[in-house]
Amino acid sequence: MTRDHHRSPLESADDRIVAGRAADGDTAAFAALVRRYTPMMRAYARRILPGTAEVDDVVQEAFITAWDQLPALDDLGRVKSWLMRITSRKAIDRIRATRAHADVTELELPAPEQTAPPRRAEARAGIAALSDALQQLPDAQRECWVLREIGDYSYEEIADELDIPVSTVRGLLARARRDIIVRMEQWR
Amino acid sequence: MSEHDAPDPRSLGMEPEDLDGHTIEELADYLDRGRSPADPSIEQSAGCRIALDALERLRVLTPELLAADTAAEPPPEESWVQDILAGIALDARAGRRIPIAAPAPNTDLGITEGAVRGLIRAAEHTVPGVLVGRCRLDGDVTVPGEPVRVRVDVSVPYGEPIPDLVQRLREEISRRLTAHTTLDVTGIDITVHDVRRQSSPAEEDR
Repeated sequence: MTRDHHRSPLESADDRIVAGRAADGDTAAFAALVRRYTPMMRAYARRILPGTAEVDDVVQEAFITAWDQLPALDDLGRVKSWLMRITSRKAIDRIRATRAHADVTELELPAPEQTAPPRRAEARAGIAALSDALQQLPDAQRECWVLREIGDYSYEEIADELDIPVSTVRGLLARARRDIIVRMEQWR
Repeated sequence: MSEHDAPDPRSLGMEPEDLDGHTIEELADYLDRGRSPADPSIEQSAGCRIALDALERLRVLTPELLAADTAAEPPPEESWVQDILAGIALDARAGRRIPIAAPAPNTDLGITEGAVRGLIRAAEHTVPGVLVGRCRLDGDVTVPGEPVRVRVDVSVPYGEPIPDLVQRLREEISRRLTAHTTLDVTGIDITVHDVRRQSSPAEEDR
């Protein structure tokens, strides 16, 4: 497989064209999608599953699923948000697997202290403050907040995915927002 | 304070008594509705307005957080890309079986829809810079003689006359389909979805 991908027009073509080729079976086009969206998908998965070694596995699984399901994607221009959605589903699968025997009270345990922040390159203080606030949230609050605010999930979708009542999702989100705001205001 | 102290929400006015009886949850829902219809009991509460401002700042920052996170990720290694390609099922795209009218009786020839799409995509090589996107064969291609329309999305380079590029591509697709299939192609519809600017900064100002 020799491909001069760095000069390839595929790298500069828009999502709809590249995803259309990949949907039709062109692996070079799929590779272009992998190169284009791996950083975003890793970043998103890392926000859902911070401090784990599973991020690369999640993104890899997401791409394998994406390849299988691309032919059924009607609006190819939406491939970016569609890949985000697949990524969070794969990340949630990990959460569900590790929490198969946990109950909701355990979900409320505070987050373990992070030994190292996942990101160091935030240029702006506000982004750094938000990043820091997120890392200090308990897992369940952080997951709800990331799915809602970054993944654009509805409350009902979060409830379905995490297998908890919508009322619990609303409560977790309210607490997450309050804690993030309070921490960020202290930063200002 | 040390960064791991639990923040005290009361000191920052995020509890219902600071929000004139409203809650952060209500305020977030109110923002989701675009603050419409306007709720005077929220808009006239100083505490609520402070909280709404904070929620709005947070909302603006969130996409920037993802953008910063994404920019901080290293580009994927080529070995990573190849590992993924090694894991995908290549036979999943064969599509329908398209019969080819055989010159001799008692023979059964066919070509897969996926292979025909590959033929159509490869037509781009004769029109440099053109990139074929999704390709559709409309009509019952499994029945010999049925009319078939070909629909393709294309991306073209900036600065070349599009009608000329499209005409050359159409002729090449037609030539290839005639050479390799016995489809009754009634039309080839080409839609230009993307005009690519070459990303050479030196040429920006010309």
